[in-house]
Amino acid sequence: MNIVVTVKQIPDPAVPGELNPDHTLKREGKLILDESDSYGVEMALQLVDKAGGGDVILVSMAPNGEVSGLRTALAMGAAKAILVSDDALHGADALTTAKVLAKCVERAGDVDLVITATEATDGYTGTIPAQVAELLDWPSLTFSKEIEIADSKAKVQRQTEAGYDVVEAPLPAVVSVTAGVVEPRYPSFKGIMAAKSKPVDQVTTADLGLGTDDITPNQKIVSVEAAPAREAGEKIEDEGDAYERVVQFLEQLKVI
Amino acid sequence: MYEWSDEHKMIRDAVRAFVEAEVRPLREELEFGDTPPYEVIRKLYSTFGMDQMARDGFKKRLEAEATPATEDDTAVEGEERASGGQGGFMLLPIIELCRCSPGLVTAMGVSVGLAAGTIMSRGTAAQKERWALDLLTFDKVGAWAITEPDSGSDAFGRMQSTARRDGDEYILNGQKTFITNGPYADTTIFICKLDEGNPPQERKILSFVLDKGMPGFEQTQSMRKMGMHSSPTGMLFLDDVRAGKDRLLGETEDVPYREGAKQAFSVERTGVAAMSLGIIERCLDLCVAYAKETVRFGKPIGDHQLIQEKLARMEVHRLNTENLVFRALEKGAAGVPMDLTEASAMKLYTARAATEVALEAVQLHGGNGYMAEFEVEQLARDAKVLQIYAGTDEIQISQIARSLLA
Ligand SMILES: Cc1cc2nc3c(=O)[nH]c(=O)nc-3n(C[C@H](O)[C@H](O)[C@H](O)COP(=O)(O)OP(=O)(O)OC[C@H]3O[C@@H](n4cnc5c(N)ncnc54)[C@H](O)[C@@H]3O)c2cc1C
Repeated sequence: MNIVVTVKQIPDPAVPGELNPDHTLKREGKLILDESDSYGVEMALQLVDKAGGGDVILVSMAPNGEVSGLRTALAMGAAKAILVSDDALHGADALTTAKVLAKCVERAGDVDLVITATEATDGYTGTIPAQVAELLDWPSLTFSKEIEIADSKAKVQRQTEAGYDVVEAPLPAVVSVTAGVVEPRYPSFKGIMAAKSKPVDQVTTADLGLGTDDITPNQKIVSVEAAPAREAGEKIEDEGDAYERVVQFLEQLKVI
Repeated sequence: MYEWSDEHKMIRDAVRAFVEAEVRPLREELEFGDTPPYEVIRKLYSTFGMDQMARDGFKKRLEAEATPATEDDTAVEGEERASGGQGGFMLLPIIELCRCSPGLVTAMGVSVGLAAGTIMSRGTAAQKERWALDLLTFDKVGAWAITEPDSGSDAFGRMQSTARRDGDEYILNGQKTFITNGPYADTTIFICKLDEGNPPQERKILSFVLDKGMPGFEQTQSMRKMGMHSSPTGMLFLDDVRAGKDRLLGETEDVPYREGAKQAFSVERTGVAAMSLGIIERCLDLCVAYAKETVRFGKPIGDHQLIQEKLARMEVHRLNTENLVFRALEKGAAGVPMDLTEASAMKLYTARAATEVALEAVQLHGGNGYMAEFEVEQLARDAKVLQIYAGTDEIQISQIARSLLA
């Protein structure tokens, strides 16, 4: 079984981010594997293991031929990667990104399953999984916390507010997985050593057969506002009845 | 080499994440609760595949030893050499563990470096198979016992432990002290003198491999000590312990002890440099954060020049220690052994640097620094032993002076 995992390489969230004049996030320097994608990588590795064979193939779109984040996932055990690095993709919107990723899935060849995160930690659009599925014309299963593969079908537990639904679809399919559902493994030292020599197929949009029209974004960021400062809370002087006020407040929030 | 390679950094980051997730939560227990360190070390080994690497390396080494070498294939060239080769795979876990619990490294280093190392350098192939492999994978715990109540720095001079021949076997007697992993060791290297009725200074030095539970062999409970609480230290008592020749390392009485010991000392001293680096890095990180956030006399203490001087000295020690570690790595990768004098100089400098930095870190933290809740208190207690074991400062100094004045 061959599984493609879409992985985003993002600026380290621990370091304060900066914006370009066109309001896009600065992505110079070293990028790291988005933590939300590490769950998908882990899940894919486990599924391939369970299937008794096959490869986990990474696809990523990142500027400047960046591979640092890919190396992390390769060290965990992914077999190879396709990296799309193309200046023409600067400012790409979600749909453009989905087109690029879908082309990469096609390039990867014989693929049974695509695993994505529900959303990236730096952008939070959360639309790519469904868009990739639509572009490939494959079924899309979202918010999965568990995936089971049997009889050429993917059966997933789709997380809901109350619990989960069980949904299934024939393979090949696109499945998005929620964060924290599996424990991503630490790369072994051997894995780290091997990662350097694993193949990374670096391509441009032209290599993928995408023309200028395909990658011209339909959306752009027109302005960025700072998040409103948190409003001051209400102060209560305790005159022996503060607990009642606390209860009232919680009731008002409908949490009790 | 002036910085870690990309692979090294990946290893560093991965081990650091492991230490934060798996070791730091156990700190209280390891420090104050007499919890032995072995389970968490095993977890480190299995998480990063260090056990499998040890198994593979062991197999390769034994195969290589079975076939005579045709060319020198230990040296690596070019890019790999400039980044210190693969030596970093062992030193980085040491550095990262020492940022939290140097005692774990003491326990691990003695078992893998000294106990297994000694068997690998002087044992027969059968002895390696029987004892060293399980130690290298950390499935079993090893101890290495030379120090006695009346002989430490002058280990061979006044050593009283003896082996006497008795038919095909030996009868071992003696007492050892300050033995790391002593209380728990499955496998113990016992170093003693062959008593043939000759004067003690003329006796041969022999090493025997002992198993836990052998009749007459007692391993005491852990001794209380100033630091390195996560590394159990004990005494050993041998009362007419019978050992066959199969337990005599090399299965011969004619192994020159001192030569092999020198190589082991160099490895051990490089390990101390790496330990020092971990302690220094952590102290410096904690001190910089504390200096920025703690306000006294209306400004962060980092704005006071006397605090700045402490930070600057710590940074100098960090750079020097890191450079010495890089030097050791690059020499290792080039296949150039570090001579004993150089190893001594490195150990002397880095152990002193770690102790100075850790004590100054306590000072910089004021009363908080003296409290167990603040990590520098532990690191200062732990650092001190680096000047005592693996050869005291004074012994390193005499080694350096001896070679300079020779
Ligand atoms: C935590 C810990 C773990 C240890 N683990 C082990 C272990 O696993 N196995 C093992 O065999 N041993 C172990 N040791 C023992 C350690 O190696 C010895 O403590 C060390 O070698 C010093 O010996 P000593 O304690 O007898 O001190 P001594 O040799 O008695 O030294 C006392 C003082 O005299 C100085 N001195 C001695 N000779 C000279 C000289 N010629 N010139 C100038 N000054 C001198 C010393 O430097 C020191 O300052 C451990 C010790 C500790 C504290």
